[in-house]
Amino acid sequence: MEPAQSMTSRQAPGRRNALVLSKRASRLNRLAALLGHGLLLLLTLSSVLSVLFIFYFIIRDAIPFFQLRGFREFFAGTQWYPSANPASFGAFPIFLGSMLVTAGAVMVAVPFGVCASVCLSDILPFTLRQLVKPVIEILAAIPSVAFGFFALVVFAPRLQADGGGLLSVASWMIGAPVAGLTAFILSDLLTAGLSGTARWVGRGLLLVVLGALAFWGLWAAGSFFRSLDISSGTNALNVSIILGIMALPTVISVSEDALQAVGRELREGAYALGSTRAETLLRVVMPAASSGICAAVILGVMRAFGETMVVWMASGNAAHVPSPWYNLLQPVRTLTATIAGDMGEADHVTGSERYHVLFAMALVLLTVSFVFSWLSERVVSRAVRIRGGQ
Amino acid sequence: MQLASRKLIDRSFTGLSVFSIVLVAGALVIILTPIVGRGMGAVFFRGTVEHRQVQLDLFGHGRGEDIAAEVAAAEEARRQVYVLIAEFEQELADSIRARRQYAEAMEEVKAGLRELLGPFPGETPVLYRERYGQTRWDRAQIKLQRVLYAETYDYSDPTQMGQKVLTPRVEEFAGTSLEPLFTILPARLEEMLRPRPTFYWRFFTNTATADYSFGGIWPDILGTFYLTFWTILFAVPMGIISAIYLVEYAREGNRIVVLVRTCINTLAGVPSIVFGLFGLAFFINTLRVSEGRSVLAGSLTLALLILPLVIRSAEEAIRAVPHTYKEASLSLGAGQWRTIVRVILPAALPGVLTGVVISMGRAAGETAPIIFTAAVSVARPMGLWSGLSEPTHALPWSVYTLCTEHKTVDEIRHVQYGMVFTLVLMVLLLNSVAILLRARISRKLRG
Repeated sequence: MEPAQSMTSRQAPGRRNALVLSKRASRLNRLAALLGHGLLLLLTLSSVLSVLFIFYFIIRDAIPFFQLRGFREFFAGTQWYPSANPASFGAFPIFLGSMLVTAGAVMVAVPFGVCASVCLSDILPFTLRQLVKPVIEILAAIPSVAFGFFALVVFAPRLQADGGGLLSVASWMIGAPVAGLTAFILSDLLTAGLSGTARWVGRGLLLVVLGALAFWGLWAAGSFFRSLDISSGTNALNVSIILGIMALPTVISVSEDALQAVGRELREGAYALGSTRAETLLRVVMPAASSGICAAVILGVMRAFGETMVVWMASGNAAHVPSPWYNLLQPVRTLTATIAGDMGEADHVTGSERYHVLFAMALVLLTVSFVFSWLSERVVSRAVRIRGGQ
Repeated sequence: MQLASRKLIDRSFTGLSVFSIVLVAGALVIILTPIVGRGMGAVFFRGTVEHRQVQLDLFGHGRGEDIAAEVAAAEEARRQVYVLIAEFEQELADSIRARRQYAEAMEEVKAGLRELLGPFPGETPVLYRERYGQTRWDRAQIKLQRVLYAETYDYSDPTQMGQKVLTPRVEEFAGTSLEPLFTILPARLEEMLRPRPTFYWRFFTNTATADYSFGGIWPDILGTFYLTFWTILFAVPMGIISAIYLVEYAREGNRIVVLVRTCINTLAGVPSIVFGLFGLAFFINTLRVSEGRSVLAGSLTLALLILPLVIRSAEEAIRAVPHTYKEASLSLGAGQWRTIVRVILPAALPGVLTGVVISMGRAAGETAPIIFTAAVSVARPMGLWSGLSEPTHALPWSVYTLCTEHKTVDEIRHVQYGMVFTLVLMVLLLNSVAILLRARISRKLRG
């Protein structure tokens, strides 16, 4: 009898109908809803607030450095001696180091990442895909310090001991199939004007010539790599490779999403017109997904650019311009590693130039990452608009 | 282009993509193999009598009588070595010529023996590290080589780096009374150290001596746990509320929503080291939540770092709840708030949990944000609540310091590997929980 009782007790004597609220209760309810809404909005705005705070606090501590030293030395100077007397804060080698390492990582992550995402979205059967996806998730989940540990303790000694050999094997492994394929296709394309036996003879001749040329090139490259002397395993190449591996999951998952978003109709249309799978993917699907793939590349760049632990542990931390400047086999120093490494000493002298210069670097990092994330958002939203317009 | 060429391109394209996938999987295997393989070595190894002695002396584990008996047997086996040393030293004391010839090498041998077997009878060094011999048989083998061979560097070729030259000490000491030492030592080392397969599960629960040469990694695990706990406590409610607002209350295209989304994306892209600097400048230097580094400052910083992750995953989970649930609830007369709390959130819970678990892994593994805000190498043991305003150990930070700043990096490789292994294991366990949860959800959605 409990429910009935509660029903009767709830029915106030003055009320005509229990389902209709009194004016006052209704107003209270609306007020409460409004308040709740406001509270939720406030809490949601906390992420906006934290972004503003991050910018404010980084800029606040970065400004004194620029006031004291100006911009020119920081961006163009090549002498980084923050603790010397007089100190010099030329951070150009550090900017260059960050860029070198990021460029190296992109060269590893983008080709393999995009190919892997194509494989995941269009080539592998469903069951295999279900197996591969966790692998990529695990790769994304491994903490950066574990990657750094691997780079420093396992990979660096290896690279130092027989890095030249590793490089030459890698160049053969990647170069030989590419060169063979290019020779085959070129010989086909160049003899397209001929016909009959002449074509076959010309093709065979061209194939032999081009093949020999490619082999010579590869052999030269291989022996060049083998002759390289790697004086230290903790260098930009090591870090680039590891950062590339770290950026792979980002690139793969974002560009796979983009490829999946391209509808079946486009693919089926291309197949119906007689294209092979490669032609469908390369000439129809990937151009249609290009903005998503761009976003994937941008996010991969951000991941590599902002990474701290790997570069701090395994890049060698030498703040000088490599010679020649693109030499990946020399130790470099990046913005993130400088902040992480120097704050320990600068912390005690809060307010000094040494302290503020690190905030200036953080400001650069923050600005770059902001621009990149804005770019990737723009690219993606444009893609959505285009797709919506179709 | 001929058909054959087109086919070839097609095949090689397929080959290239499959090769990329294999490469990605291969990279994972290559990275995880040494970490898991040698990380297990921190727990499974051949422990010597010194290991059991350390366990008894420093941590009170093991049975005293057994260990005493074992130590006595080991000392019996070692006595011959010390007798030989004493005799030879007597010889050196008697003859100036012998002293001039052998004194330096003798010191090296003695230093090697101290590292291998522990201090000579009667000595009690100050450092813990020097009070015991090698606790692991694999390290003992390396130390044995140091005793048996003299290491010199050959700089005769100026174009190359110095080449390591090993000369057996037997030849160096040939004809002296110490010569037998270099045959006895390798032959009877097993009796002297009594290695035995050991399953040292206490690696995870023991505290360590200050330089990590003995003991386990419990303080680091605990510190990581505290940091993660508080981080989740700060970030998850905030993240879920934001997600609810974004999905259920806000209208798409609203200016505020666009702003919030832009900010979430920006926040997700901010490099982790910048979070660390911000934590230092804001939580510690401005708000003064603690004096210097603390768990509180660290976990607040980490909470900001994982906030976008939590919001995005919660948003996705809430969006995935079928619209019919909401409509049914509203048609039964429930208000919007009641619908959210009683219908939508329970239905979205597994998805939200997946996101939370993944963010936990992220928070546990991040290093850069806690460098300036929470982590130190030497900290007091503490409780969950009382430690909030204290600096702490943390696994990722300890991995960094042990393999870059430690005095004897090579001696404690097994501890470093063990730590990385533990960290990776924690993160992978959390991620497998997430993967399982997700599999359950997708099963449920399929019916």
